[in-house]
Amino acid sequence: MENTPTVDQAAAAQEQISLSVLKKRWLKFKSIKRGYYAFIILITAYIISFFLPLLINNRALVVKYEGEIWFPVFQGYIAGSTFGEDVPGEANYRELKVKFKSEKGNWVIMPPYPYGPYEDVTTAGNKMYEEPGRGHWFGTDNTGRDVFSRLLYGFNISLSFAILFTIASYLIGVSIGAMMGYFGGKFDLITQRFIEIWATLPFLFVMIIISSIVRPNFFLLIVILTLFGWIGMTYYMRAEFYREKTKDYVAAAISMGQTHKKIIFKHILPNSLVPIITYFPFAVIGGIGSLVGLDFLGFGLPPPTPSWGQMVSVGLQNMVKWWMVLAPLGALFTTLLLIVFIGEAIREAFDPRVYSRLR
Amino acid sequence: MATYFLRRLLLLIPTFFGATILVFIILQLAPGGPLEQTIRQIQMGGMSQGESGGGGGGDMTSGGGAGLPAEAMEELKRFYGFDKPIIQRYLIWLGVWPREHDTRNLEFGPGDTEVEKNMGRGQWVTVKQTADGYVMYNEDGSINSDWLIRPLDPGEDGIERALVYKTKLSGILTGDLGTSYTYMQPVLDVMKPRFKVSIFFGISGFLISYIVCIPLGIAKALRHGSPFDLFSSVIVFIAYSIPGWAFGAVLLILLGGGSFWDVFPLGGFRSENWEYLSLWGRIIDQLYHAVLPMIAWTIGSFATLTVLMKNSIIENMSQDYMRTAFSKGLTEKRVIWIHALRNSVIPIASYIGNVIGVLLAGSYLIELVFNIDGFGKLGYQAVLDRDYPIVMGFLVIAVLLRLVGNILSDIALATVDPRIRFK
Repeated sequence: MENTPTVDQAAAAQEQISLSVLKKRWLKFKSIKRGYYAFIILITAYIISFFLPLLINNRALVVKYEGEIWFPVFQGYIAGSTFGEDVPGEANYRELKVKFKSEKGNWVIMPPYPYGPYEDVTTAGNKMYEEPGRGHWFGTDNTGRDVFSRLLYGFNISLSFAILFTIASYLIGVSIGAMMGYFGGKFDLITQRFIEIWATLPFLFVMIIISSIVRPNFFLLIVILTLFGWIGMTYYMRAEFYREKTKDYVAAAISMGQTHKKIIFKHILPNSLVPIITYFPFAVIGGIGSLVGLDFLGFGLPPPTPSWGQMVSVGLQNMVKWWMVLAPLGALFTTLLLIVFIGEAIREAFDPRVYSRLR
Repeated sequence: MATYFLRRLLLLIPTFFGATILVFIILQLAPGGPLEQTIRQIQMGGMSQGESGGGGGGDMTSGGGAGLPAEAMEELKRFYGFDKPIIQRYLIWLGVWPREHDTRNLEFGPGDTEVEKNMGRGQWVTVKQTADGYVMYNEDGSINSDWLIRPLDPGEDGIERALVYKTKLSGILTGDLGTSYTYMQPVLDVMKPRFKVSIFFGISGFLISYIVCIPLGIAKALRHGSPFDLFSSVIVFIAYSIPGWAFGAVLLILLGGGSFWDVFPLGGFRSENWEYLSLWGRIIDQLYHAVLPMIAWTIGSFATLTVLMKNSIIENMSQDYMRTAFSKGLTEKRVIWIHALRNSVIPIASYIGNVIGVLLAGSYLIELVFNIDGFGKLGYQAVLDRDYPIVMGFLVIAVLLRLVGNILSDIALATVDPRIRFK
């Protein structure tokens, strides 16, 4: 009796076996420390970045004035005259805070970093090309906008853009690739020729032509980039589906009279998830790279959207103002490096070979 | 093998036509084309000189060109080829439909059926209007058939007009890429000096990345898991995540003499006084200008190549034939350098074709950052200027280079691995 495992141990062993494949991979991913911590850091930073207006903003969180309480962050534009401030247009909360220090009963609570991404020299107290210092951590740009603030807002925009872009191009790429592999024959051949032509078009080139015709906004830009971004995924999905199609479970599904749609998406797709998952981080990297490149050329998001590419492009015109280039590029490198770590760890978790690989 | 390459070549034909037709249509249908830009320029000029006729910045999107005489509009349209349907324009561009050149305008006076015209070089001809078209007579009364004549739309003043022209088949298939709108030179002449620049960077970047990456990959594989491997992995990771042009911008800020160290020039391909330098001076100057862009150029393939090489070696090291080689008493050196390496460069060889594509595609951001007048920057500028002949020429060369790259990959693959048979 001593040798038989206890009930507890048996249950634990049972649990070990019945762990789903995905769960096992997740545990493996967690064990790769570099990727796991990069993942934690990136996700945390990304979630926080949605609350940036509460942390980094020129609008006050709370203002108490003459017994009334205001929440400028949520209320939006409030004229300066409302608070007895002698400024044209919107209230300048930083000056208000200084002023209210000497006034009893009135007070202002500013966000921890009291500079917004859009306020430029037209706001009193802002100067062009201010060097990095205590006030503006990363200095100000050619129109007096705070670089640090734009940088962080740009982080949210870049990452959101790249993730949405990747999801959109995956939806198209996976569906088309799956159909090519599943149906094969003429459909495959014709689609392949079409893809070949499509892939021959110099992507950024056509992109420039399109954006010089229509001024793209955030979502239009995703749509345009997706038009070119879906191709890569079709190669992998096509190969996966060609392989899976011949397996017995598919034949079984067909003989049971399942529809094509069900076989593709319910039966085969869950068995072909590995390329989708492992290439996701690298597609996000590609998305960020494309956005930054386009913004750098001036064909990306419309100004004054805070974008890293646009910041670099302005910065390079003023070589002496190094912070305008190094700050956004530093942010870009850090973000991309984190994603590479994550992607590498995911790949290792899903494709357990003894060595590291890219691509 | 030969059939294989022949098929590859034939398969390129539909791709070539598909891609060029697609881009041609996009270009021709895009608003704000060269015609509208020229009209706007003329109008702006007219307004600034205080002449009448400026439409006051009216919208050009309707293609109206209000304020320009109809005749001038016709002339402009003809110059840019917009007087023909789009299919015909494409065929002309291809060179299978005659292109009109040496055009001259004819104007018939009210009631006149014939007009005299100086065709240049003192040659006068008389054009007579007959029931079934126009006939051109030389001064001695003989019929001149060198020129073709077609009627033009009569203007608002009711004067009959005709166009005298010659035709020739001249297009991409005859090696004529057309004339650039902005440079007023044949496209090939505009491209040639810039192509040289891109080839310089392309080839030397290619050599450098292979010279660095293959030994590095081997060293990493042999010392897998050592501090050297881990440390270089970090560098590879960083290199992989950084876009080349962005890294170039950082180098430029740090070493270009703006606010930190003044080590390298700010940009350009060569110094302005290059022509006057001695041979040695030229070499130094060229290298001096090339260091930073070259690093930016190679950083992209650096990471991929190194990891490719390393993984390839490690994979081969665990194969059975390696154990056999060791067990029959070969030295480690021989096993690695002769047996493993030959098999490990196979994936690297197939990567060669990519390099040629990268030569064009990824380079214009770098050329912009370093202000190098290369091929990519020319194409980028042409899109901005709506210089369609250059844009189309760029596309053609890009497609051809892709083909060359693919075939080069296959040849390299077949050279390195004699087992490979292309069918």
